[in-house]
Amino acid sequence: MSRVKHRRAWSLALALQSKRRALARLLLFGSLLALAVPRPVSDRVPLGEQQIVETANRQVCVHTLLENEVQEAKIKRSLVLARELGAATIVQFFPWAYYEPQRGRFSWDGADRIISHANRQGLRVIARLGLVPEWARPNGADKPTTLNYLPAESFDDFARYAAAFARRYAESVAAVIIWNEPNLSFEWGYRLVDPGAYVRLLRAAYGQIKAANSNMLVLAGALAPTLEGAGSAAGLNELDYLTAMYQDGAREIFDALAIHTYGFRDAPAAEPAPQRLNFRRAELLRDIMVAHGDADKRVFVTESGWNDHPRWSGAVRPSRRTAYTIQAFEFVAANWTWLENLCVWALRFPADLLSHPDNFTLVSADFKRKPIYYALQDYARGWERSETPWLPPPVAG
Amino acid sequence: MAAAARRRLKLASAARSAILAFAIAGALAIVVLSRRSAPPDVKSAFPAGEIVIGVDASFPPFALDNGERIEGLDIDLASALARELELPIRFENIGFYALHDALISGRVDMLVSALRVDPARMDDLRYTQSYFDNGLVVVGTRDTAQADAEAPAKARIAFEYASSADAEIRAWEVDGQWITMLPYELPEFALDAARLGLADGAVVDATTLRLYLRARSEWTPRYEYITHEPYAIALRIDRAEAWRLVDGALDALKESGELVTIIDSWL
Repeated sequence: MSRVKHRRAWSLALALQSKRRALARLLLFGSLLALAVPRPVSDRVPLGEQQIVETANRQVCVHTLLENEVQEAKIKRSLVLARELGAATIVQFFPWAYYEPQRGRFSWDGADRIISHANRQGLRVIARLGLVPEWARPNGADKPTTLNYLPAESFDDFARYAAAFARRYAESVAAVIIWNEPNLSFEWGYRLVDPGAYVRLLRAAYGQIKAANSNMLVLAGALAPTLEGAGSAAGLNELDYLTAMYQDGAREIFDALAIHTYGFRDAPAAEPAPQRLNFRRAELLRDIMVAHGDADKRVFVTESGWNDHPRWSGAVRPSRRTAYTIQAFEFVAANWTWLENLCVWALRFPADLLSHPDNFTLVSADFKRKPIYYALQDYARGWERSETPWLPPPVAG
Repeated sequence: MAAAARRRLKLASAARSAILAFAIAGALAIVVLSRRSAPPDVKSAFPAGEIVIGVDASFPPFALDNGERIEGLDIDLASALARELELPIRFENIGFYALHDALISGRVDMLVSALRVDPARMDDLRYTQSYFDNGLVVVGTRDTAQADAEAPAKARIAFEYASSADAEIRAWEVDGQWITMLPYELPEFALDAARLGLADGAVVDATTLRLYLRARSEWTPRYEYITHEPYAIALRIDRAEAWRLVDGALDALKESGELVTIIDSWL
């Protein structure tokens, strides 16, 4: 309740006096009580002046993670860092469970806040949609389900959410990604993965999104790089999964493919192979698209990067991570004519996870920019890069 | 007389009531205290008759799947704990992102996976005491703490470029301005610089230092922790009995020296 409304209640109570003294007392007491109860101080942060992203390479993109950021000032600060980096595009997650907590009752405040700040920073937004509200999944005590468990009977509910999102943000969001890494059991609610079911979900979402906003790009896939074979409890490799999607008729129901490709320990130019996880594995997915008549479709790499944790077996040293990241951008600019964006996972986490995932970020949770941030900024903005920032190996004198 | 007798009777009755109440309270206290001090029961703490361990086996030398089996410090530690508790053990190799879900959903009994204690997870998890501290250490042959701003030469500190040591040292520079920073491409180069006297000290994580020293037993530098990253075992918050057993077993491994032996065999 606003301060003005409290004042009105106060005046009204005084005016009633003798005739309705009891009611007046009640109102007076109520008003005093309401005034005494501390009200939350608004933490709204001004959007500020309209900004433009200064960049020499519009393919540079970062994945942000602002959906769990409580303070609006931190949302804005993260997006300022994305703009200053020279990233013209961001990928951001918009969890269904947050914005439709009850069936048909949307609550867009959190999404509005992120998107309005992103747009004010001049950033193009690609929205990743997923995460199932409790009301849309079975959740009995005998069979608890995770937030990634989407039963087939809720596909239309998800499609309605996606359509409502596409309608509301018609002017401010460029594309939506339908689900995240459905080829992993973990991301498919700890069930055996099912390309056919994903295609049915995609079909439901595509139809409703296009009916709501025909200009919204619908991105499919966002498949995780993995070597899992058919029947694995953990998932299915993305090459077989994409092939199965085409066999189930997915070609007509997405506008572009979202790809996740990580370098792991390989250099960006290392040759791809079906049994190897590396950066150019994305080319194998592209080959599958071409083989199924989708050569004209664009590709967005919506997650990519190298990790520099000192202990994780999938990581490289920080110096190499920096070099590989820049080389990857140079490589795609020269070779991947079909690529729209290369998005680095991730700009920043709202809180440290205290393990190797923290070493994918460009900025720490407490907003310290890592050396890789500056290196990528130099590349994105076309600035001259400094010389090698480390000393030669020490030699005994 | 009658009134006096009634008064005495009343007092006696009140005294009896007080004694009774005191006795009941005492009995309750004894029951509660005896329950608290009773040793936890292994069978009820692990009703399946085995301990299922969740581990991310992509983290050498703590845990690594070498294609044939999982091995590492965490594997040896978990096995030693199971021996203490006289229970069979089974490992589930789970990626980090799904590790905590596996614990909370009951798929595994506990996580032994080079986990740093995370206060943000304490609503769901209960950590044991720490078994290893992988914080940053400053390593040197002279006391770098003596090299303050008044010294004619700044302390020369070597570290790995863009590592957690780099972030820590750059924060010192903002605060103190008494350091000459020597970034190297690899942490081993930073330690080489300290060993060869080209730097007054190096800052690396404890694991890196221990692995480096294993290969260079002739060098016995001084070192001191400057940050702390305690690794601990995590159990679900509602498994207090299991937690007490595991924490007690960890105590026993520390007291017997077996924990040090396990750590020394890998680091």
